[in-house]
Amino acid sequence: MTTRRELVARLSALVGPENVVYRAEDLIVYEFDGTIEKKLPHAVVFPLGAEQVAAVIRLCNTLGLPVTPRGAGTGLSGGSVPTRRGVVIGTSRMRRILEIDVENRLAVVEPGLPNIQLSEAAAAHGLFYAPDPSSQKACTIGGNVAENAGGPHCLALGVTTNHVLGVEVVTAAGEITWLGGRVPDAFGYDLRGAFIGSEGTLGIATRIVCRLLPLPATVITLLAIFDTVEQASTTVSAIIAAGMVPAAMEMMDRMTLQAAEAGLQCGYPADAGAVLLLELDGIDEVIATQAARARAECFERGASEVRTASTPAERELLWKGRKGAIGSLGRIAPNYYILDGVVPRSRLVEVMGRVSEISERYGLKCANVFHAGDGNLHPLLLFDERVPGATANVLEAGEEMMRACVDAGGSLTGEHGVGFEKQRFMPWLYSETDIENMSRIRRVFGNEGDFNPCKLLPAGTGCGETAHHAAAVRAAGPDAYV
Amino acid sequence: MASDASPWPVPADAPAPDDLSRCVHCGLCVNACPTYAVTGLEAESPRGRIHLARAVDEGRIELTAAVQGHWDLCLQCRACEAVCPSGVPYGRIMEHVRAQVAADPPSGGRARAIRRFVLRNVIARPAVLALAVAPARWYAGSPVRAIVRRLGLAARLGRIGALEAQLPRHPGRPVRPGTRLAKPHTVTGRAVLFTGCVMGELFGGVHRATARVLARGGIAATAAPGQACCGALQAHDGDLAFARVLARRNIDALEGDDTTIVVNSAGCGAAMKEYGDLLKDDEAYAARAVAFATRVRDFAEFAATLPATAARLGARVTYQDPCHLAHAQHIRHEPRALLGRITGCEVVETAGGDMCCGAAGIYSLTQPQMSASLRARKAEQFRQHHPDIVVTANPGCQMQYEAAVREAGIEARVLHLAELIDEAQRNAR
Ligand SMILES: Cc1cc2nc3c(=O)[nH]c(=O)nc-3n(C[C@H](O)[C@H](O)[C@H](O)COP(=O)(O)OP(=O)(O)OC[C@H]3O[C@@H](n4cnc5c(N)ncnc54)[C@H](O)[C@@H]3O)c2cc1C
Ligand code: SF4
Ligand code: SF4
Repeated sequence: MTTRRELVARLSALVGPENVVYRAEDLIVYEFDGTIEKKLPHAVVFPLGAEQVAAVIRLCNTLGLPVTPRGAGTGLSGGSVPTRRGVVIGTSRMRRILEIDVENRLAVVEPGLPNIQLSEAAAAHGLFYAPDPSSQKACTIGGNVAENAGGPHCLALGVTTNHVLGVEVVTAAGEITWLGGRVPDAFGYDLRGAFIGSEGTLGIATRIVCRLLPLPATVITLLAIFDTVEQASTTVSAIIAAGMVPAAMEMMDRMTLQAAEAGLQCGYPADAGAVLLLELDGIDEVIATQAARARAECFERGASEVRTASTPAERELLWKGRKGAIGSLGRIAPNYYILDGVVPRSRLVEVMGRVSEISERYGLKCANVFHAGDGNLHPLLLFDERVPGATANVLEAGEEMMRACVDAGGSLTGEHGVGFEKQRFMPWLYSETDIENMSRIRRVFGNEGDFNPCKLLPAGTGCGETAHHAAAVRAAGPDAYV
Repeated sequence: MASDASPWPVPADAPAPDDLSRCVHCGLCVNACPTYAVTGLEAESPRGRIHLARAVDEGRIELTAAVQGHWDLCLQCRACEAVCPSGVPYGRIMEHVRAQVAADPPSGGRARAIRRFVLRNVIARPAVLALAVAPARWYAGSPVRAIVRRLGLAARLGRIGALEAQLPRHPGRPVRPGTRLAKPHTVTGRAVLFTGCVMGELFGGVHRATARVLARGGIAATAAPGQACCGALQAHDGDLAFARVLARRNIDALEGDDTTIVVNSAGCGAAMKEYGDLLKDDEAYAARAVAFATRVRDFAEFAATLPATAARLGARVTYQDPCHLAHAQHIRHEPRALLGRITGCEVVETAGGDMCCGAAGIYSLTQPQMSASLRARKAEQFRQHHPDIVVTANPGCQMQYEAAVREAGIEARVLHLAELIDEAQRNAR
């Protein structure tokens, strides 16, 4: 048994007292991420560099304390919530850009670097980092690696795993290792690939080699305004069917438009039923013809108006609305539960119908934002957790909606990860053998169940010791951690 | 929550649960926050500070010295509010939590009491303030200052030394309510110039420049008598009661017609535009406060609407946004547009040009360490970009930039936007 004082002393010895947080009032701000999950850690540490991360992990392993990695806490699946308490390892003090190698078009960064700061720094060299989650002002590259994050511009360019060449990792066992490196196509098992998207259950990324791309010569951004979500959805399929691959193709429904316009004054039509935000980039002439074709497709399917952003400032304004859309829904209700279903594009309209039928049946307000080009839906169920029963109601409705996506041949998550909240649905898509194989991978990295516990894999494999743990804590009294 | 069960010492001024619950912890604000940028700690971020307020409100934690410490470190720069998509009224929340801390401070009660006394009885009393500031004004422009600096005496004086570095180089004669100001040849419009507290005493030159620029645009500005300190410093410190006294005094003095009230201190302007909120529960004043607020314009906002006057100034200029102009009043474009009208003026943008400089009212005195870290960031940018002139639009920021320029070891002048425009217009005559 370790007391709180001993734990703090030992952590302080490893990382310095200024990098350890342990008072109740200081810990309470680490109980949440972007979801509605909450759990208080016992301590939060901010190690500087792989050596310190390794030392902290090894100490926790010796003490039998759960460890949970945390970036900016914008995750939408409870990934950085310390479900079984223990120690949270925060990366917010490791946020330097270590190197920008212009010639080889790559950057080496620390995990706590906010995503947008990489593109801002690269812009000076005419380069950018492609994955651009809507949360990019806040979320960290480390968190993006863990969630294999996507973003509006991943439609044409691919998600995080397509843009990360290598990762320095401290494994759940506390060993420091490189997965991948500075060149693509490292030989041997693709452990880099296994790590990206592992949701912080295999180890902590402490350095990341990111691929940079040249900024496109020309960008055209269109905002197509429709009366219905259905018109917008069919337009999405039509544009893809016409052989175009827009850089981005995002849809927002009426409720989202109204909230975003109220919050961000970005010039969205608040009375439209849906809009499509379309972006095309590349070489001048090609883009101009593509834009003309895209406009024609929009009008053919009922668009009442198609606006073109003609200056960078106008373009930025259109995107500001999209990127702040989710947060702006806080104007309508104090809480949202955001789903992340993926469906084949051809079934988008049908599943959208199911979603609205379900939200009506549960008496819920539901706003929709999607990466439409990828068939990635984000229904947001709006509620107030302070109303008794509201949370349970929302979770139940959410489960039905996820079921609808899976029934349509889709999946549970496009980019937000399984995390804590969706692990129990894994058996909908994976067999026992599938799941057992995944938990073997986990053990290869030294995770016996205490490293970011109760995430990704269904309880039973990851959460086996919960009861045992609770009993141990009870026996040891309130000041004990283990 | 019923008021008898309220966890807050002053339930009437408690942060509204609806304000607090508006935060959906999306995190979009955290990297805009200067104190988060420096510390990397969630408790020093807007999202963290709101969560703490919510936890106190819900009775999950007590309002301890640690909680107070996190709120005290907030600059009230409102960068978070400006980027929050959910419209969390952070400025209002922070004034309300400060009011709680002020009523029953878990720590530092004595310092707080002294501060409140000074804010009420020196800052807000023109005669007392004039006396208190007189030596500093004399010193700022005197040869003694050069000697003190040459001998490095200021460095040994701790906080006084820090203040020394901030004093403007040419304070100018004070402008007080009733002081006569420049008049246009042909009057096309009228305005009231808001004189303020420290602004009028230490930055009379800025007021005079403001009046001259307005006069060249045909506007006759008067320093109308009877006006008082705006109450922003008091409100930010949690003394809402006294801030309301001052707001009522200004409304009494300046209401009666619909003349524009021109404010050249961003902090004052932001506070005055929010009088409606401050006095919303005051039956006699609520509606008058709203009417008053609609007449308030920042200098840049107003000057941008006037016909352009020829202006020329060959210099490399960097404009640094005052928080209460950019974030609280959403005025970013107008100052830059005004600079753009000056022939020969090369405008350079620096990284973090709209991040707080650490002046933040009395913050540089109450939180010297954080204030210095933020100033150092500005100094680093100045070193990189080598401006000839640093321009801003708020007295506190101007003082902090005087110190930052010294720290950067460059020769730049620090000017208020009005001073720069005035000089450029004079050059072009
Ligand atoms: C408004 C809003 C919009 C969003 N839009 C998008 C979007 O468009 N696309 C998208 O993909 N996501 C989106 N998200 C979700 C979220 O921003 C991403 O999942 C992001 O990658 C999380 O990063 P983070 O730094 O906040 O990580 P956290 O939330 O702190 O953590 C997420 C997971 O990563 C793990 N982790 C964190 N750092 C490390 C590390 N260094 N090494 C190993 N594991 C680590 C944590 O343990 C946790 O499991 C959005 C979220 C919000 C609030
Ligand atoms: S941006 Fe607004 S809603 Fe999001 S965390 Fe910050 S205060 Fe809360
Ligand atoms: S007001 Fe400024 S210092 Fe305070 S939380 Fe907001 S951004 Fe941070």
